Amino acid sequence: MAYMSMGEAHRRITDYLNRFYDAVSSQDVASLKSLFSLSSNSPFLLSLADALNLFQDANRLIKQSDKYSLYAEILVPVFRSLQNYKQGNLVEAYQAFEKSANAFIQEFRNWESAWALEALYVIVYEIRVLAERADKELASTGKSPEKLKGAGSFLMKVFGVLAGKGPKRVGALYVTCQLFKIYFKLGTVHLCRSVIRSIETARIFDFEEFPKSDKVTYMYYTGRLEVFNENFPAADQKLSYALKHCNPHSEANIRMILKYLIPVKLSIGILPRDCLLENYNLLEYSNIVQALRRGDLRLLRRALQDHEDRFLRSGVYLVLEKLELQVYQRLIKKIYIIQKQRDPSRAHQVKLEVIVKALKWLEMDMDLDEVECIMAILIYKNLVKGYFAHKSKVVVLSKQDPFPKLNGRPVNS
Amino acid sequence: MGYSGYYNNYQQQPNHAYSQPVGAYQNTGAPYQPLSSFQNTGSYAGSASYSSTYYNPADYQTPGGYQNSGYGNQTTMWNNGNYSNYSSHPYTNYTPDSTGAYSSGTSTTSMQYPQQYKQWADYYNPTEVSCAPGTENISVASSSTISCPIPAVTSGYVTPNSQPPQSYAPYWRPESNSSSIPSLQPGAVTYGAHDGYWKHGAQSSQIHQNNTIQPNYQNPLDLKSSYDKFQDQQKTVSSQGTDLQFPSPQQVAPAPIQTAPSLDTRRVGKLQIPTNPRIASNLTLGLPKTEKDSSTNSAAPKPAYISVSLPKPTEKVPSNDAVNSILKPGMFPKSLRAYVERALARCKDDKQMAVCQAVMKEVITNATADGTLYTRNWEIEPLFPMPDADMVNKDSSECSTNDSVLPKYKRSPSRRSKSRWEPLPEEKPADNLVPNSSHTEKHSSWIHNDRDRKETKEGKEDGLRNTKWATFLQRTSSKTPQRYKKQRLAEASIPSENGDASSDSDKEQGLTAYYSGAMAFTDSPEERKRRENRSKRFDLGQGQGHRSENSHFRPKNAGAGNLYSRRASALVLSKSFEDGGNKAVEDIDWDALTVKGTCQEIEKRYLRLTSAPDPATVRPEEVLEKALLMVQNSQKNYLYKCDQLKSIRQDLTVQRIRNQLTVKVYETHARLALEFGDLPEYNQCQSQLKTLYAEGIEGSHMEFAAYNLLCVILHSNNNRDLVLSMSRLSVEAKDDEAVKHALAVRAAVTSGNYVTFFRLYKAAPNLNTCLMDLYVEKMRYKAVNCICRSYRPTVPVSYIAQVLGFSTYMATNGESNVRDAESLEECVEWLKAHGASTIADNNGDMLLDTKASSSTLFMPDPEDAVAHGDANLAVNDFLARAPL
Repeated sequence: MAYMSMGEAHRRITDYLNRFYDAVSSQDVASLKSLFSLSSNSPFLLSLADALNLFQDANRLIKQSDKYSLYAEILVPVFRSLQNYKQGNLVEAYQAFEKSANAFIQEFRNWESAWALEALYVIVYEIRVLAERADKELASTGKSPEKLKGAGSFLMKVFGVLAGKGPKRVGALYVTCQLFKIYFKLGTVHLCRSVIRSIETARIFDFEEFPKSDKVTYMYYTGRLEVFNENFPAADQKLSYALKHCNPHSEANIRMILKYLIPVKLSIGILPRDCLLENYNLLEYSNIVQALRRGDLRLLRRALQDHEDRFLRSGVYLVLEKLELQVYQRLIKKIYIIQKQRDPSRAHQVKLEVIVKALKWLEMDMDLDEVECIMAILIYKNLVKGYFAHKSKVVVLSKQDPFPKLNGRPVNS
Repeated sequence: MGYSGYYNNYQQQPNHAYSQPVGAYQNTGAPYQPLSSFQNTGSYAGSASYSSTYYNPADYQTPGGYQNSGYGNQTTMWNNGNYSNYSSHPYTNYTPDSTGAYSSGTSTTSMQYPQQYKQWADYYNPTEVSCAPGTENISVASSSTISCPIPAVTSGYVTPNSQPPQSYAPYWRPESNSSSIPSLQPGAVTYGAHDGYWKHGAQSSQIHQNNTIQPNYQNPLDLKSSYDKFQDQQKTVSSQGTDLQFPSPQQVAPAPIQTAPSLDTRRVGKLQIPTNPRIASNLTLGLPKTEKDSSTNSAAPKPAYISVSLPKPTEKVPSNDAVNSILKPGMFPKSLRAYVERALARCKDDKQMAVCQAVMKEVITNATADGTLYTRNWEIEPLFPMPDADMVNKDSSECSTNDSVLPKYKRSPSRRSKSRWEPLPEEKPADNLVPNSSHTEKHSSWIHNDRDRKETKEGKEDGLRNTKWATFLQRTSSKTPQRYKKQRLAEASIPSENGDASSDSDKEQGLTAYYSGAMAFTDSPEERKRRENRSKRFDLGQGQGHRSENSHFRPKNAGAGNLYSRRASALVLSKSFEDGGNKAVEDIDWDALTVKGTCQEIEKRYLRLTSAPDPATVRPEEVLEKALLMVQNSQKNYLYKCDQLKSIRQDLTVQRIRNQLTVKVYETHARLALEFGDLPEYNQCQSQLKTLYAEGIEGSHMEFAAYNLLCVILHSNNNRDLVLSMSRLSVEAKDDEAVKHALAVRAAVTSGNYVTFFRLYKAAPNLNTCLMDLYVEKMRYKAVNCICRSYRPTVPVSYIAQVLGFSTYMATNGESNVRDAESLEECVEWLKAHGASTIADNNGDMLLDTKASSSTLFMPDPEDAVAHGDANLAVNDFLARAPL
């Protein structure tokens, strides 16, 4: 950093203050939001931070001038936050920024129109990102990371400011999505419920009215929540909406959506094409899809084992594990088809021994009781139509559509 | 003898006129109150305002107030002596009579001693009116035994006795008055005794008392407990009071004043203690000294007492002065007041109070000495453990020794290690008392006065009691663990007795005590104060006029002080919370707060702590180890073990012991809870274990990881949690037998594979079975549902029994035929209970008719369901809980 003269520092600070004042008075949101975007690391803000470090009495500058002192509540903490941010004191930076943001939303509340919405977005985003980084800093020093949690409650406050009848309400979904991000990160997804409820039931909100990007994000997160709840039809609907409306060029986002949509689709009996998995680098699913196609239980188990960590982390492990029954179904179906080729008249009777043998061939060492149990479950869950005759140890398949397709319905639970 | 006589008279009064008392109270001097004044005494309703008067000399000026004040004094005297008694007194016989005379009185006095007053009233009423059963007396006696030995009290009482009649004259007069004025008494038939009593209070002699009291009150309020000042005030006040109200008494008063002060000081100190912890807290400073003195005095032969009265005040003065200088009213941080109040609120009787005060004095002086008086955050300052009075008496001056003894109390060396449970009776006073028969007699007369009343005719009984009392004292004087137990027993009996009492006030008392929670036993001064405040509410309304009259006095004493104290008392907790909030948690010196236990008993019942732990009841690590072993080897039922383990856990927690022993204890408890099916308790242990393991303390980590998994799978049914705990498993964990088993169980459950589930059920390592036990019913039901749906036409029950884990052996095993038959039967019963229909085939084997059953299956209500939802709380088990 080159040496900065006092005058230069003074000039930069007043420049910032002027920009802020002009932006507010002319309602120039583009200019305004750039003033808060700490994480953009714009040279303007960084040099301002240097200037602030050099010129210690910036607060006096604010308080001396009538037009600046009007916004002192916002500006003073922003300066402090900037200083700390530049120096790497992220916890301090966060705290100051939250203070400033608090003052900002007070101001924002008083503005009738929603002109500053985007600036608010920036602030909300900065709050979240700063909190995450501050938590990292806290964790590294052995303190309990609680800033993100604090950010969560602050954003709830912002949500409250936006959730009204006026034009500002379209901003609510953005805040909601930021809240989702926080809650998912913290693992407190149950907190999402209250926001979701107000978004989906409050009359002031018309979902289609929200910005598209927010809608996609919202659908992505709520879809994920449905995956956790194993409510596959709803998850499918939400994630499909997200996929459909997602910007086709943001592949990372599409991939994120697909990561959850594919297991959901699989569990309702819809298999993706291989090229989809390849295009979006979701090859961890390819073996699973393959296993479903072939009725290869071993492949499924291996695939699950291979990517266990990944699936557990994303939370789809249990969903994928439940595909096992479909694999069994496919296996029985194959046996049935083979039997039908040999002896169509007796094809609907599948002996338990045969199934055990087939499984053994797949290196699945299961005894009669176990396989019998699985057959019973398959029938019970309506993956196989028919009945099991215990005495003769035979699965008697229905002559009509013995292996009903799921066709978008989840397996009966 | 004066006292005993006095009381005897008292007792007799109801029966006959006061003729007898007159003899006793010849001193009663001519100065006599106008009838009107007496009437006032009789009707205390108006006196509500007086309560305030107590604090204010001005009150005395008003005639009504005067009487009240007298009354108050009396009560105080009473309390002074018998305070403990009152507290322990069950209040069972709170009769309407009393309300007439006393309740009003209570309200009036309430300002000052509402609680005591009430108690006192209760105390009396029962005896008078209904001649309450002897049990009452006994209970009282026992309780009194505990607390009576207090040196100060004894000295106080003794002194009066020993002293020449002159000094007493004032006190006794009232009685004499009553006696002399028979006209009044007739009206007061039922509570004639009381009247007399009150009158006695109302008398000029009492003014003097009042005076004494006033100063004290003022002092407390001002946070000055200087006795000299007190004396001054006495004089001044007495003059005032006498002038305004009882010119005649005035003359009398001066004389007694001189002698009385010492006595009064003592008494007053004592008196106040019970009433208002806040005020008492102030006394702390002064009192300890008196106590010491008294104890020393008590050590001396009886005559010493006589002499004591006068010299003492002088002795005290300097010390008190010092204290005063330290505790100038304005100089005290409010938080300190709150602290003092808090500390005193724990005290249950005079003794404790006094001791407590002594300790606090040291704390405060120490604090001033090292300049932390203002810097220290009193709001979060831990209360010192309830000190043992013995220790205080012996060591009150030896802070240094205490320090060495109790190094953990870095901040305030004066903190004592003894518990609130510790018996307060002290060896010293007791010793003094016991040998001295006359003392004991007097004591007994004091204590028994209520009984005596009942037993006016039965002098023998009195004697008996006296002897009992004496023996009791002796017993208490001997240091033994028994004593400790006894104390606890006595304490335990108190609440129950209270429970018996059906009067609203009692209930209320109990409730408030319950809610005031943290610090209070039912009888605690805290609670008393609450009552006081409560009754003050009414006073506020009624006593406006008086107030306004007395306003010029009040600001210093009652007005500001009272209000403040009241509010403060109410806010103590919340305040400490608020202010605590400002103070970062990490700023608290936890090490300084950590207790190091000294209790050597292996067995200990769990009692949820409501105050700072007391080292005397906390077991050190070695003992806890033994205790754990004891529990592990115990043959008793789970409830007993649970109780013991909880107490062990508590002791570990308060001592902040976190090591392998801790882990062992929690593991043991978790296992026992699992075996018993006590999931809530298990969950507590599990969550503790999680953090303990996370701290790197060794234990059966894997075993409990498995339990945790099973718990999540089988009982919380939360997919997200499950995924989380699965993803947290380490690689080694996944290789562990128990964890593998748990994971397999999970797979079986999620896929609904009942065959695998019951196989795993039988092969479960550790206590995994126990957790699975809780899921077996559900799994079976699901399985039968599935079977009914998928099998046609029938399924042999034997197969179901085998697959669903009813039989313990494989069906192919020939030797297990008997077991098979049993398990078959069990399975049939189970199926029937769940609505399945079974048929017999040609061979007589039972078959499940799947089609018929598929629509009729249902989940029966659990047989062991209980209305309160916790089957573990079966009455028999509850009753079987081993009493300690």
